This record gives sequence, structure tokens and C-alpha cells, in this order.
Amino acid sequence: MKEPAGFEKRFWFKLNGRQVFVSVPPAHTLLEVLREKLDVTGPKEDCGKGECGACTVLMNRKPVLSCLVLISQANGAEIITSEGFMKDGSPDFVQKAFVDNGAVQCGHCIPGFIVSTEALLSRNPNPGLDDIKIALAGNVCRCTGYASIIRAIQDAARSK
Amino acid sequence: MRLSDIDVVEPRNLGDALSVLHERSDGMKPIAGGTDAIIRLKDRLLETRELLDISGLRELRYIRKEGSTVCIGALSTYSDIIESSVLKSLCRVLVEASKTIGVLQLQNRATIGGNLANASPAGDTIPPLFTLGATITALSHKGMRRIPIEKFFLDYRTVDLKPDELITEISFEAVERPCDATFLKLGLREAHFISVASLAIWARWANDRNSFSDIRVALGAVAPVVIRARKCEDFLRNRRLGEEAVWEAGRIASSESSPITDVRGSADYRRAVIPSLLYEAVHKLVESRRAWERP
Repeated sequence: MKEPAGFEKRFWFKLNGRQVFVSVPPAHTLLEVLREKLDVTGPKEDCGKGECGACTVLMNRKPVLSCLVLISQANGAEIITSEGFMKDGSPDFVQKAFVDNGAVQCGHCIPGFIVSTEALLSRNPNPGLDDIKIALAGNVCRCTGYASIIRAIQDAARSK
Repeated sequence: MRLSDIDVVEPRNLGDALSVLHERSDGMKPIAGGTDAIIRLKDRLLETRELLDISGLRELRYIRKEGSTVCIGALSTYSDIIESSVLKSLCRVLVEASKTIGVLQLQNRATIGGNLANASPAGDTIPPLFTLGATITALSHKGMRRIPIEKFFLDYRTVDLKPDELITEISFEAVERPCDATFLKLGLREAHFISVASLAIWARWANDRNSFSDIRVALGAVAPVVIRARKCEDFLRNRRLGEEAVWEAGRIASSESSPITDVRGSADYRRAVIPSLLYEAVHKLVESRRAWERP
């Protein structure tokens, strides 16, 4: 028997270190579930088509676009959003470097940049300029604050 | 159909996936990484009531060498390909092509099998796989089919795959030297772009080191499907690689294309850049041959 339209299924995943269970339609995107079901609003929906990077989260330690992951595909996965990098309620070294370097203008794209930066620095603690540009190529800032964002990442790498 | 109205079935393993597809092949669509399918579902370019989410099938995620053949499981992501030590030494051209696709966030999800099934004429793994003479393995509950890649694409976004079949593997003969194969794509910016035109070459160098005894050229994004430029190949085979010969080969390749005008470029522009792409690709092979021979 096919279930009626708009039905829900139960999923679980690890979100920022704790296990969460949700009942949602299985083709909802991970982004929708994070924002609308779990009130985790770091990841943003800007384009919804994989072009802007504002919804970037770590899925099993790799940056992915949560607007292009179905919740069923995230079942059982480990998800980390920009909120998950906070240390005891305070900004971590990457978040602090963004603030210290004035890398945040309107702020909308920054959670995605933070996640991409954390992923970069965890696999390459001393990235060169080109490494940074390649790792951040999927994140768009329409205030065009790239120069200060790159400075912030270099600063974060030095501070670690 | 809204995303929230679509059911998603998660098979336990490949056998389970094939029997589910067999039972409910009417309208059920497989989804792998989903980086293109989810956008198409949102835009309603793809309609389905049920998705079969095969992204978790670990048994289709491998890259290995079997004799002189390279075998890639269909659910290998571009990141898997980029990081594969097997491919770095036995098929660098596919690694280089994969690096040009999208950005890291997409490379971490998108799969090579998805790129083939999706059948975009601008799919960037397709031209290299054409020139490598790759074979696509498809499996259904009834058994296995092996399809030469050039027979796989029937028309714009149409492939020779039955509703109950899944692509399981892509295989081809290893290419050991970087000077034997290359891929180039032209886009409108440096990163995260879809090909305006792309070109792949696989070549066998003649003993005189200044011509190819055999060559295959494939063109992407300049026809409804990726195409081989066979007249261009015939012209270049055993011909001395001089400036004029290579430009002429490029003009021939251009005459074999049938591009359209779209948001990324006009048909005239696409036809005009093909000779430059061919010239640059041949130049790359020549340079890379020199570097290879340098002690």
C-alpha cells in the first residue's frame, strides 16, 4: 500500500555532536530539516541549486551542500554546521579570525565560509593562497568581501 | 510534484535495489549523489513519485586495477576519483577532468555513474571516457549488460538504460603516460562552471615522436550528445604535427559539431573555439611528452 502524499518517515543523524531524531517527508532536503525542524539556522538557503555555498555543512567530515542532500541520504550521518564549531558557547579560532579581520559584512554567507574553512584547515593546516581559493570556490559572498575573508583564513591558520 | 510528496526507498544492498526496481520500475527513479537530480526535481524538469536512493550502496564505490583494466564503481564520487592513487598513475586525464567539475561541495557528493546517467552533453567525465573507449556495465535482476560508451548515449539526455537497470561500473584500458591523453574545457570563469565546449584526446604516439599513429578526439557541449570527431581523427592520424596541420584538424573537428546557442555561448562561438581547444590540447600532449622524456 502506498502511503498518502505528504507522509513522514523517521530519520536520525548526529548533529553537532548529539543524536537527533526527526519525522519528516523523506525527500525533504537536509537544509529544510535543519532550519525548519531543528531550528539550526546557520546554513542558509540562497540559490537552492548548488551555486552559492551558503548551505554548506560537513557530512561525515566532508563539506557538502545541504540544499542538495535529501534527508534520507543523511540518515545515520554525522552532520556539523557552523554552530557545531563553537567552543563552550564562544567562537572558535576560525570564527574569531573572521571577526578580527572584518571578514563579515552582511554576514549571510559566513556560516558556509566558516564550514568550508574548518574543512580546509583540518586537512591542510598551512594552506597557500591557491589552496584557499580552491577550497572556497564554492562559497559566494555578494558583498564581495573576499580579500578580508582570505586574510581571516590565513590568520586562523597562523593562530592555530 | 513537490519534494515533500516524493517517497524515497533506501535499499539494503545492490540485490535489494535491483529487485525493488524490478517490482516498481514504473516511474521510480534511482538517485545517486543527487547534485543534479535534486535541482531537476525542484525545477520540475524531473517528475517522479518514488526515488530509489542508491547513494549508500558501498559495494558500488571502488576504484581498482584488474590486469591492465581500470574499474570504477558507479557510485565513486569525483572526490574519490581525484584522490585515487590508482587513477593518478593509470588515468590522470580522468582525475584532471574531475577536478574541473563544480566545486568541492559537489565533488564530495556527485558520482561518475550519475554523470553518465544524467547524460548532459556538457558532462565533463564523458569526453575523456569516450576517448578511452570505456565500457559501461549495467545490471538488472535479469543479468548484466556491457555497453560501449559511444552506444550508451542515444539522444539529448537519453541513455540506453532500461527502467530496471542500474549502472554498476565503468571500465577502460589504463593510460600510463600523461602525454597519451588530455582534457580541456572552456568556461566563462575560473571555477565552478559548466563547459561551453570541451575536448578530450587519447593518442598513441608514432615512433617518429612527431605524429600520432592512432588518435581519438571527443567533443563535449557542442552537440546533443558528446561526439567523436572522426574526420578530424582520420586527418591527424600519421600526419606530421605542424602548425597548419593542427589548425586544419581543428577546423575539421568544428565542422563535425552541431552546437546550439544557449545562456553560456552562441553556436557560432562554440564552433569558433573548437580549433583553439584542439590546438591547445595537442600542444599540451607535445609539451607533456617532452617533460616525460626529460631525464
